[in-house]
Amino acid sequence: MKRNSSSAGRFIPRNSGIKPWLFILPAALVFAVFMFYPLIYTVYLSFFDWNMIKPVKEFVGLQNYFDIFKDPNIGKIFGNTLIYIILLLIFDFIAPYIFSFILSFVIKMGKNFYRSVIFLPSVISLVVGTMLFVWILNPISGPAAKLMGLFGLTAPVWSTTQGLVIVIISIMTSWKIFGYNFIVALSGMGGVPLEVIEAARMDDIPLHRIFLNIVVPMSSSTGIYVLILSIVQGMQQVFTPINMITQGGPDYGSTNLIYNVYNEAFGFYKTGTASAYAILMLLLFGVLLFLEFKYVEKGVYYEN
Amino acid sequence: MKIKGIFKDGQIFWHILMFILILISVCPILFAFTGSVKTLEDLYNGGFFPREIIFDNFKRIAAAVPIVRITLNTFIIAACVTAFKVITSTLAAYAFVYFDFRGKQIIYFILISTIFIPFTVTMIPNYLTISKLGLVDKIFGVMLPQLADASGIFLIRQAMRAVPKPLTEIAHLDGISELRILKDIIIPVTRPAIISTGIIFFINSWNEYVWPTLILRSNENFTLSLAMQVFTDSEGGVEYTMTMAMAVITMILPIALYLIFQRYIMSTFASSGIKG
Amino acid sequence: MAGKDIIFENVKKSYEDKTTVIENLNLTIKEGERLVLLGPSGCGKSTTLRMIAGLEDVTEGKLIMDGKVVNDIPSGKRGVSMVFQNYALYPHMTVEKNITYALSVHKVDKNDIKERLEQVLEILGLKEYAGRKPKELSGGQRQRVALARALVKRSDYLLLDEPLSNLDAKLRLKARKELVKIHELYGQTFIYVTHDQVEAMTVANRIALMKDGVLQMLDTPYRVYHRPANVFTATFIGSPSMNIIEAEWGGGERLMVGDQCLKLPQMWKEIVEKHGRTKLYLGIRPENLKLCPGHNSEGLNAEVEYVEDYGNRYGIYIKLGELELISMADSVFAGRGEKVHFVPDYDHIHLFDRENTNSLGYPAELEEGKEESNSFMQAILNESPKQED
Repeated sequence: MKRNSSSAGRFIPRNSGIKPWLFILPAALVFAVFMFYPLIYTVYLSFFDWNMIKPVKEFVGLQNYFDIFKDPNIGKIFGNTLIYIILLLIFDFIAPYIFSFILSFVIKMGKNFYRSVIFLPSVISLVVGTMLFVWILNPISGPAAKLMGLFGLTAPVWSTTQGLVIVIISIMTSWKIFGYNFIVALSGMGGVPLEVIEAARMDDIPLHRIFLNIVVPMSSSTGIYVLILSIVQGMQQVFTPINMITQGGPDYGSTNLIYNVYNEAFGFYKTGTASAYAILMLLLFGVLLFLEFKYVEKGVYYEN
Repeated sequence: MKIKGIFKDGQIFWHILMFILILISVCPILFAFTGSVKTLEDLYNGGFFPREIIFDNFKRIAAAVPIVRITLNTFIIAACVTAFKVITSTLAAYAFVYFDFRGKQIIYFILISTIFIPFTVTMIPNYLTISKLGLVDKIFGVMLPQLADASGIFLIRQAMRAVPKPLTEIAHLDGISELRILKDIIIPVTRPAIISTGIIFFINSWNEYVWPTLILRSNENFTLSLAMQVFTDSEGGVEYTMTMAMAVITMILPIALYLIFQRYIMSTFASSGIKG
Repeated sequence: MAGKDIIFENVKKSYEDKTTVIENLNLTIKEGERLVLLGPSGCGKSTTLRMIAGLEDVTEGKLIMDGKVVNDIPSGKRGVSMVFQNYALYPHMTVEKNITYALSVHKVDKNDIKERLEQVLEILGLKEYAGRKPKELSGGQRQRVALARALVKRSDYLLLDEPLSNLDAKLRLKARKELVKIHELYGQTFIYVTHDQVEAMTVANRIALMKDGVLQMLDTPYRVYHRPANVFTATFIGSPSMNIIEAEWGGGERLMVGDQCLKLPQMWKEIVEKHGRTKLYLGIRPENLKLCPGHNSEGLNAEVEYVEDYGNRYGIYIKLGELELISMADSVFAGRGEKVHFVPDYDHIHLFDRENTNSLGYPAELEEGKEESNSFMQAILNESPKQED
């Protein structure tokens, strides 16, 4: 009875009327001015030709969107974006997932220590992380070059090497976001009862089968959450090393959708094209948001 | 007995694997600390440990940029942003947990969705707004768009939902006002979550790079993350020892906060996590 | 009608998803009484209590307290205090702060607060725990702090929502005596929700028995036990449950049970004839079902099926046709499969209409001169070993 009533009909303060709105107001105000208004304004800007200074914005309809597909670098921009996403998924989704499994169910000692240390880079500025990796990977005197020298190898100049530049930037970014995703994945593992794993081990099921057939299905909503997190967070974070080191180079070799919006807007002052790119980016994230709500939210917010 | 456990059942293999992961996590940080007290020559040719500990790099940073002012800027921005975010998030979370009102679900959904809006989408209009307000190159211009945070609403709401309903019901029964309930009961009970959310806000704001890059122009208004670039942008290569020293200055506070509040932070993330 | 009665007038409660919890409640709770809302899970008893508290709103009808319709009065203004099942103590406040918090918010005079605090601490034996936090207290102590917090308000109405269900059996026994004593001391109107019939019987002046949002019976514990208004009340109260036997009125004085026949005495005959329907239920409480050895055409014949030993008594399960009945006895004379029979003690039978399950009523002869003895209470207390072991 007790339980029934408290779940079915929650307490409704009578005559509360305007009160809840007053509580939400401060946050809503900030969101309205700096989140929702800009969102709409960006859509608006994507239909105009402008440079942030000209007094008049020229309406060009969908021209900015067409221009995107005429851009000679469009293939590179989207191709790189895809490569970034794949790399981020490997480093920040698959790897943390596997490592959180190992820490939860395979390793027996030192769990807290490992967990604390692995999270540590998450609190450090990616600007710092980027610079430290720049030193470590310095082709002449960095520690990595010295290590390779021991084996008679020469370190490549990664920042000007097509392909490698994306890999290195992804690694730098992943160094920062791995820890956070790892902790989230770890909390998802907490939802898998230890007895289930113990039962499987008693039946002598190999570890990789336990992971794939038991742990992954039982923690799937966390999995999807981490997957989305990797893309959404990762894509925005890679901006930092790109802007600091390569500015999208060499020859658009490390640029991606996010950086290109920035470059169009604050490099070339083409707000129209930048906005059109931004909206495309938003649509891509919109698909992820949809997945998030379809598969994750149900399990997260409405579980009680 | 305990040590033996590591060698049993191939555990050693897994520990080696974890150890490699830890090495990758920590090595860059250790390089920064040792490098910051080396001479450039020592950094290029020496081993892991400095031959001689020198503080030249820090002195040269102080000479090159107003480092105290920059640190203060960073701190003021982070502190204000954190205070506002915690307040706005706590109030909003309270409304979402303890009131029923028309459109609650949909409003919550819309607010949480903003987590998925990439900064590039809001960047241009926000820049225009800030410049119209004459706040370009002002630390206030950095703060303004960041005074509310959807993830904060989410985290604090999670914590409030864990507070048993009768606790507020008895307070209502006793005729206590909503603000008093929030102040006297809900905030004290959810304090660990609010503190750790605040710490996370602070660290994130401290480390913020993209938005300050757009807004701040002059050295004396820089934040630490921007100041770092002063030493990398200079043509003719990076002066690594100074970069290392700058890295140490930038990361020392976040690391300290993390070590102090580690327990809180971990448990907040764990409870925000998704079960099943 | 006393001023401080609580009156439910055609109250209906349903939720947004259209589930109805309370159908049409008409109930008057008298000033100063101890009313127990009793019923199984989901019967609406907690909802009823929470409507009084103002924690749930009233969908339709009127809720009147203190002479006013309170449907729209927020709970803080209704003069109610409450003890929750899980006590709902503020975890970050000491016992003293828990008790005085609301008073200090409402700026009650400091000396007055102190005096009231001293008094409740004294009464509930919490003096030495005043400085402790809830997590440093035992379950029984927490329950008393919750009670103290409710009492210190000196409100007109004290609401208790399963206040003892988180205590172990021994403590529960002690606490319920304490509650009655405290009521006698303070004289507030007690409204007490429980699913435990023994608790209800021992605490209540009157019991309101509910099922599926409908009030089944509202009366004294004695009458709820001895004069159940319907089959549900008859079977819900008492343990083991009353035996309910399908019976058919055969005219004359014959009550047919299957192919067997009972002779109803005159007083019952009048009741049945007045009622006019033939399809009935015959109810006999296990302790009133006295078995005799062998078969006999005077009574109903059955076979022993199974015997349970309760230590102090025996529960004898017998098969009457397809129906399983239970008899409580001090001794057992027959083993499994042996023939037995019983003649109902007509002073202690119950007749119900099979269609609407309502009681046919009781002969006037039975009502006269029957002292409201406590013997029934003894019976209840003894016969629920699982709750009181």
